[in-house]
Formats: sequence, structure tokens, C-alpha cells
Amino acid sequence: MDAVVMQHLSKIYDGGKTAVADMSLTLEQGEVFGFLGPNGAGKTTTVKVLNGMLQPSEGTCQVFGEDPGRSPEKVHAVSGVMTEHAQMYNNLTGMQNLMFYGAMFGIGEEESRKRARDLLQQLELADASGQKLSAYSTGMRQRLSIARALMHQPKILFLDEPTSGLDPESAHNVNQMILALAKDKGMTIFLCTHQLRYAQEICTRYGLIDEGRLLIAGTLEELRAGVNSGLQVRIRTDRMPDALAGRQEGRMEGRPGKQADVQVETRPGTRAGIQDITLEIGSEEEIPYIVSRIVESGGRVYHVSARQPSLEDIYFALTAEQKGTEGIRS
Amino acid sequence: MNRAISAIVKKDMREITANRQLLLTIVVVPLVLTLVMPTIYFLTAHFAPEEVEELQQLMRLLPAEAQAVGAEALMAKLLLDNILPMFFLIIPIMAASVMAASSFVGEKEQSTLETLLYCPLTVKQLFYAKVLASFLMSMLVSWSSFLVMVLVLGLEFYVLTGGMMTLGVSWVLVMVCLSPAVSLIAITLIVRGSAKAQNVMEAQQKAAFLVLPVVFLIAGQFIGAMLINAWILAGLSLGLGVLAWVLLRMSLNKFCGEMLLAGR
Repeated sequence: MDAVVMQHLSKIYDGGKTAVADMSLTLEQGEVFGFLGPNGAGKTTTVKVLNGMLQPSEGTCQVFGEDPGRSPEKVHAVSGVMTEHAQMYNNLTGMQNLMFYGAMFGIGEEESRKRARDLLQQLELADASGQKLSAYSTGMRQRLSIARALMHQPKILFLDEPTSGLDPESAHNVNQMILALAKDKGMTIFLCTHQLRYAQEICTRYGLIDEGRLLIAGTLEELRAGVNSGLQVRIRTDRMPDALAGRQEGRMEGRPGKQADVQVETRPGTRAGIQDITLEIGSEEEIPYIVSRIVESGGRVYHVSARQPSLEDIYFALTAEQKGTEGIRS
Repeated sequence: MNRAISAIVKKDMREITANRQLLLTIVVVPLVLTLVMPTIYFLTAHFAPEEVEELQQLMRLLPAEAQAVGAEALMAKLLLDNILPMFFLIIPIMAASVMAASSFVGEKEQSTLETLLYCPLTVKQLFYAKVLASFLMSMLVSWSSFLVMVLVLGLEFYVLTGGMMTLGVSWVLVMVCLSPAVSLIAITLIVRGSAKAQNVMEAQQKAAFLVLPVVFLIAGQFIGAMLINAWILAGLSLGLGVLAWVLLRMSLNKFCGEMLLAGR
């Protein structure tokens, strides 16, 4: 069964602001889906609509076959949600908070205590389990929220910026936990973040969103193919043969909007004439040819590295394309 | 009771008892109304001279059978049958206003409302749990105040007059029907208002207006405009009981999560 299905989903707030526009997307069970975009792009609104907090203005959505607009409580029984607006009680201890939410999900007291203890252990909060939440640091609260969202062992976990406020070690620990939940327990993860590098570390599929619109969705390879953003090679040399530069420009002329990918920069502190050149190539087979041409023309090569476009590259390419299209339209 | 609803009720009650300031408000007002004021009244009635012209005038206004018992007993009877029962309408409203006003808006202020809404409870069940927590607290305060009042005033009455203090049938109506009905009306209105309010202060200020009709009723007892009796109380109980039920149904049907989060 598909974990999440959205069909032409839109949410327009009372003031007329469109937070989500005509979004269609399907998530399979067990995937770690990165829902990526800047602040205010519509990520949190989408999570709220998928959990029945907000009613969609248009379109439909389902979470494990249930319509969150009609029966939110059925969706909540299978989903765990962690957002910055869903806090816990300051006057209760970490353990009491988890026990309370355990009871809210109908879990018996003993079972609740056992689960809470295990989760506190996994999230390195066992020592603070008897402390009131008011004494917790931001990072500890964040981890306790993840524990709370996992108390009822949901089938799908919605995480909104789960590692913001965490130190690198805790963030690494949380990431490992998320990956293990997806891999070992088949839990679907819907991860909202604006940190694209972080998402690339743990997600299996991505959806890039901007101003409420889904720009693209797919695996990293599909995204790369979708934006036509290919392999790049970075060469540090003191000479770039004209023919080679011309060949590159020629190849790129047929691909409008990609000239920006040919970058030439002079590194400070290097000998005069040495430049870093980034070229877009079709495959790694082209690299020896480029290097030999430089050497044959009398140039020296100091560094060569191939690089696949990152999520960031893809995102910026897409938003630039979007703005270009809007510019042409207006 | 559903485990989740019972968890909310316990949590809400624990929150109030753990907050010294709120607990003090809930305890002090009933103590003043049911112990301090009646004691002063009893002592005044006992030690004041009966021949005061104002008191005689007041007695002449009352029904003949009431005049026959003597001034001190009459004043005690007036207090017990007419004035104190009205205080048991103020006490549940006060207890409810403290607790119910913080029910939704308190959760909103702490940013815990959204977390509650992500639990597998319908918004109706959540509303029901919040109303139930406030209702139980308000009845607990009301009945404990009644118990303490009967014990302390009974003792005072015995010491001062040597007789046993007797309570009229109106008390049964007040404690079993009227007080719960008034409490339920107040809680429903306050919880509804609390869901719309942006902070606890605003919710409590709105709640304060609910005491006004009861204040008029008490003033009626003092000036003799409308003296309560068992029939009036039975009628009021029935009317307010129906009103409480209708309000509760209406509020349950109007509630939705989006409204709560947006505060509309």
C-alpha cells in the first residue's frame, strides 16, 4: 500500500495566501522521503494537511488509505509527527511526558514505561528522564519530541527539521536512528528540511518545493536527469587550450541556461595564471581527453576531480529556471 | 473511561494542584464564602441586640411562619436557606473559570495543543475530556467546601445556640442539580471561549462575566426581591440543566482542530 498519496492538493489560507498549490505526489512504504525547500515554501502546511490539522482547499490526500480531512484520528494512529510547534509539558519530567502521550495513544502503563525507557536510552536522554522538561536544553527537547513521535510505533514519521539545534554527534545519532527505522522496521519517513546537504545524507527520494509548488520529485539520479544537470569536472591548470574551451562552449550552446556551469576562478595565493575551471561533461571518458589536450598544449595540470551535481545544484538550477520562466511570462 | 480521556483529566488536575497560585485561588474563595463570612454573620446574629428597630422591620417583611422562630434562629435560617446556597453557584463557576480558562488556551500558550491534536482522539473527545476535567474539579471543590461548611458551621451553631443545625431540602437541589448544571454551563462557555482566546488572561476575563447572573440572584436574597425556595430552585435546576445539555451539544458540533489552532 502507498504510504502517502496527494492528488492536486492545494491549501489557500483565509487571507488568500496560497501555501500549497496543485501538489501531486506518492510515497511508498519504507522510503525516506526528503521534502525540501526554503522556509515558508509550504512544507509544514503540507504536513498539517496530511495530518488533518488543516483542511485542503482543493484536491485529495490519503495516508495509508485514510483521508486525514475526514478521519484525522485514524491517520494519527499510524503517524508520528514532530514539528517545532508540537511541544510537551514543561512541568512534567521527560518520562512523565512520554507516559502521558503513551496513554493518549491507548498504550498500557507498563508497556508505555518500557517503550519510554528504551527510547530515552536510544536518544541519550536516560540520565535526564527524571528531570522536568523546563530544565531541558533545545537539543534535548528536540530529541524528546522524536521519542514522543515514536512512542506508538507509527507506520509513518513526519519530521520537521529534526536535527536543527542538535550538536553534530546527536544529529548523527538521530540520522542513524531514522535510517534504522526505515530499513529494519519499514517505517516511512517524511522529512522536511531546508538543509539540502543533510537531506542528501539520509534520504532515498526527494521532493523539491518552492512557493507551495512541487518543482520535481524522484531519486537523486532521476532529479539529475530531470534538470539535465550532468557530471562536472574541475581542473586546476595554468593553461586551457582555446580549442578545448571552444569545444565545451560549443557543446553547451545547445543547452540553454547552462553556460553558468562553466566556471573559471583564480584561487588566491596560487601562482599567476593558475585557474580552477569547472566544465560540464557527458561522461568520465572525456576526462583523459581533456587532460591530455591541456598537457599537449604545454599546460600543467595540478588537480582534476569529477563531481556529480548535488541536491543544492539541482535546487538552484530549478529555482533559477522557474524564475526565468516567470520572468518570460511576465 | 477511555484511557486517553482519563490521561487528559488526570494531567489537567495535576497541573492545577501543582500550581500553587491557582490552587490558592481555588481554595481561598470557597473558604471565605462558606466559612469566614457565615461565621461573622453567626457571631453578629448571636451578639447583636434583638431589639434593634432595623432588624424588627426586616422581620416584619418576612412570612409569618418565619417570624415565629425568634431573631437569631431566623437570621441563621435566612443565611442557611437563602444566602449560602447561592454561594454554591459562585464556587463552581469560580473553580471552573480557573481551570477551564487554561484548558485550551493554556495548551495553546505552552505550544502543546498541536501535540494533543496529533493524538488519535477526535476533537470532540478532546473537548469532552477538557470539559470533564474542569467539571470534576469544580464538583470536587464544591462538595468538599459543602462538607467543610456543614462540619464547621454545625459546630459553631451548636456552640452558640446549643441546638443542631438543620439544612432544608433546597440544599439537595442545589448540590445535586443546580450546582452541577451551572458548573457545566460555565465550563462549556469558558472552554469554548478559551479555544478562541489568545491567552489565559483573556479567557479568564471573559469567564468573570458568568458570575454576574448569580450575583443578581444573591442581591435578590439580600434585598428580598426574590427569595428562593425549593420550587424556584427545582425550576432553575431543570431550566439550567436543559440549557447545559443544549450548550454542550452545540459546542461539540462546532469544534474543529483548524478553528482551535487558528484561534477563531
